[in-house]
Amino acid sequence: MHPIIEAARQAVDQAELYWNRAHSISVRYENYRLQQVTENDVSETSLRVIKDGKIGSAYAVFPDQEGFLDNAVIGSKYGDPVQYSFADAADYPALDSYDASAANLTSADLIGMCEDIKTKIQSKLPDVALGIGAGLEATELSVQTTRGADAASKSTNVGYYFGAPFKGAGIGVYKFASGVRTPAIDDALINEFVEWYNWGNATSTPSTGRLPVILAPEAAFLMMMPFLSGVRGEAIWKKTSPLTERLGEQILSEKITIRENPTLAGSTDARAFDDEGIPCAPSTLVDRGVLKDFLFDLRFGAAMDRPSTGNGFKRTMFGSGNETATNPWFCCPTVDPGDTPWQDMIKGLDEGLLITNGMGFHSGNYPQGQFAVQAVGFHIVNGQVVGRLDKTMISGNIYEDCKKIAALSSEVGPCSGFLPIGTAPYIMIDSLQVAGK
Amino acid sequence: MKSTFANVVSSLPADYADLRFEENRKVRIVYEGKELSQVATTLTSGGHVRAYANGGKAIASFSDPGRAGPIAEATCASAVLVGNSREKKLRVADAPVIAEDFLITPPVDPREVPLNEKLDLTTHYNELILKNPHVITTNTVYDEFTSRRIFVNSDGSVIEYELVNVGIFGMIVTKKGNVVQRVRFAFGGNTNYTPLLDREADLEKQIAKACELLDAEPAKAGIYPVVLDPSESGVFIHEAFGHLSEADGLQNNPSFRAKLQLGTTLGKPILNVTDDATLPDLPGSYRIDDEGVPGMRTPLITDGVLSGRMHNRETAAEFGEPLSGNMRAVDVQCTPIVRMSNILIEAGDSSFDEMVASIDDGYYLVGAKGGQTSGDQFTFGAQWGYRIQSGKLGNMVRDINMSGELFSTLQATSMIGNDVAFGERGGCGKGGGGPMQMNRKSGKGSPHIKIDAVTIGGI
Repeated sequence: MHPIIEAARQAVDQAELYWNRAHSISVRYENYRLQQVTENDVSETSLRVIKDGKIGSAYAVFPDQEGFLDNAVIGSKYGDPVQYSFADAADYPALDSYDASAANLTSADLIGMCEDIKTKIQSKLPDVALGIGAGLEATELSVQTTRGADAASKSTNVGYYFGAPFKGAGIGVYKFASGVRTPAIDDALINEFVEWYNWGNATSTPSTGRLPVILAPEAAFLMMMPFLSGVRGEAIWKKTSPLTERLGEQILSEKITIRENPTLAGSTDARAFDDEGIPCAPSTLVDRGVLKDFLFDLRFGAAMDRPSTGNGFKRTMFGSGNETATNPWFCCPTVDPGDTPWQDMIKGLDEGLLITNGMGFHSGNYPQGQFAVQAVGFHIVNGQVVGRLDKTMISGNIYEDCKKIAALSSEVGPCSGFLPIGTAPYIMIDSLQVAGK
Repeated sequence: MKSTFANVVSSLPADYADLRFEENRKVRIVYEGKELSQVATTLTSGGHVRAYANGGKAIASFSDPGRAGPIAEATCASAVLVGNSREKKLRVADAPVIAEDFLITPPVDPREVPLNEKLDLTTHYNELILKNPHVITTNTVYDEFTSRRIFVNSDGSVIEYELVNVGIFGMIVTKKGNVVQRVRFAFGGNTNYTPLLDREADLEKQIAKACELLDAEPAKAGIYPVVLDPSESGVFIHEAFGHLSEADGLQNNPSFRAKLQLGTTLGKPILNVTDDATLPDLPGSYRIDDEGVPGMRTPLITDGVLSGRMHNRETAAEFGEPLSGNMRAVDVQCTPIVRMSNILIEAGDSSFDEMVASIDDGYYLVGAKGGQTSGDQFTFGAQWGYRIQSGKLGNMVRDINMSGELFSTLQATSMIGNDVAFGERGGCGKGGGGPMQMNRKSGKGSPHIKIDAVTIGGI
């Protein structure tokens, strides 16, 4: 145990120390040219205490920083009474989260990865403003409490991305890959990037009305974020969620099964314990369209007389890190795949949209299941992509529109956007409202 | 510490190097409904070094000031590595050498106000909201950020400066049946504590809007003429145009660089847009940026013509344009990137009534609710709106997002009001090739404006 935990035993009723240390290197290419190397070596820590039944917190760079414990104690004088205790000692699942050779990558190694990508794409798309990046982050995380929790992990995250705006446009096509170990430069991913980029050389605007819409895995957040906002224990307890009284009800299409998969093999966001030192465990949130479970941290679990589900994380939609208050959040959400090859979805459409991103999502009333976004993606006519979407918005409510899912693809890809790294298939929605011509 | 850091950068074999070390103090009080969920003081510190060598560039952030020397040397070596692969060498424009301190003394300094007074004020506003029977929860936040920074560079600049930003902001959440609505409020947003006080009447107006919204109809999808209130048009000019005026975003994008040559006509002669760090008491006001360049006023559009751009020393050199003092980092671990200070649409001569009267079928959109931009494409939300039919304001509408394309939208900006107002809370997220930096010190101002056609997302 860290000495501050021992000191806290004398000063407060309970204490919890969160400490994150990260070493990272990244290289960035702009317009096919190496632009910058970044190397960071940073530490951040937070301390929560319970004294006289009230909670206080403080944040610092290192745990031995002067005044760290005192600031948390001062905070507890003003804090509200708490109904929970910090984590007890526990066994944590073993994760394959660290690779020593990845941790030892250098900027020269990362430049080499980018040069490989550059060589493979430059011959096919020599005139685009290609951006490439590669990065390594090696992290040590520990959560210790005066009640005996002593969770520690080491992890590595190596990834690359590449992408380019369409000529004369502000949007483009972007692809990425990441892993605990150095991911191979994937020719299939590069070929898909080239194909999609060429699809977008022309623009097309659909007519205003209702049309079938395919969400690519990278756009699955349009369905997932409204849903996951609704199953957070905080929204349930505050009754701001439209799912508050709906456990056991059919809320989405019976084709949809959504899981929280915090120990997902290969995900660089996988975790053995949450930021409160509670073990993480998989759960099914929606089983064939039926709502099965919510996500809790210690605080909101106690408020609703439930144990934490191991979902207390220092994350929000717009950030994560030490100073973010712990709250119920998700780790590696996944959507089960279906059995339709995604390219067959396109072939079967008279007219529809393939969506790869939705701009302005966070401005909408997503906690209620709604979204209204600028559609980024492609217009499909007679089973063919006819160009990238232009001057097009899509809007809907997942609890109405996602009750009618036409198909899920057999392939899955990483879903990101506002989400931690999970996986999702292509999701074909019967119809959404489209504002176009 | 200043001389130690100055010695570190001056001894590097670099074409140019700088180092910023900062000590930050944050006070945050958070109510979530009735619950006081946080009273926290944060003390953080750390450094950031940048090196240009051999025509390449590298950067590093570090927590331990004792390691500044070896980290700066490694950063310089990485810059050489980058330079080896670049035919087109990076360099920085000349800037004045400054050895001066820029400390802040607001009329009522939030650092001097006792914590219990801040808590009492936050509690008072939160309880005022909770009195309304339609309110189901709140998020009421007292947010104070103070930063004391040392900047040294290899040119010889040695600067100590401060940033102070204090505000109370939050969200009012109301519910009726299955309809849940959220309305924001914000008081303060600059260095002075006084604007946080005696704001009950302003808060009551926002609570009333959050209740009215429960009976509003959703907007209808389509293409419409719109009138934007100053809050919405401030976000519009920030998101749609401002980000494309930040030269680091254009630096490696040949097609936009070609479209945005100085002298290009972008809008009607009534359109004038300025970025101005020197305006007093606004969220984005500052004396010196995080590259040691003084904040200043930069005309961006003059009489409808592109007349200026926001730069750092690297992009100013590459574009051959003047320095603008827009290089800023939000926190210890962040590298500075080019960011707006206070961007505004200058006043025109139309009245709000004239704008509404000119529209047969459209919307009046009120209250910024965030936005997103990618190149020339933008999307942003409104907190509420009103239908305009036959030149008159009609029923209230909710759940509105609008989108468009910058160049056609600037040309379609056909009326500009005479009632410039600035928002009291800054806010801007930008990555600039690195992790997202959420900047509270970013001001937005505008009068009412009329745009002839935008796409509205709705039912």
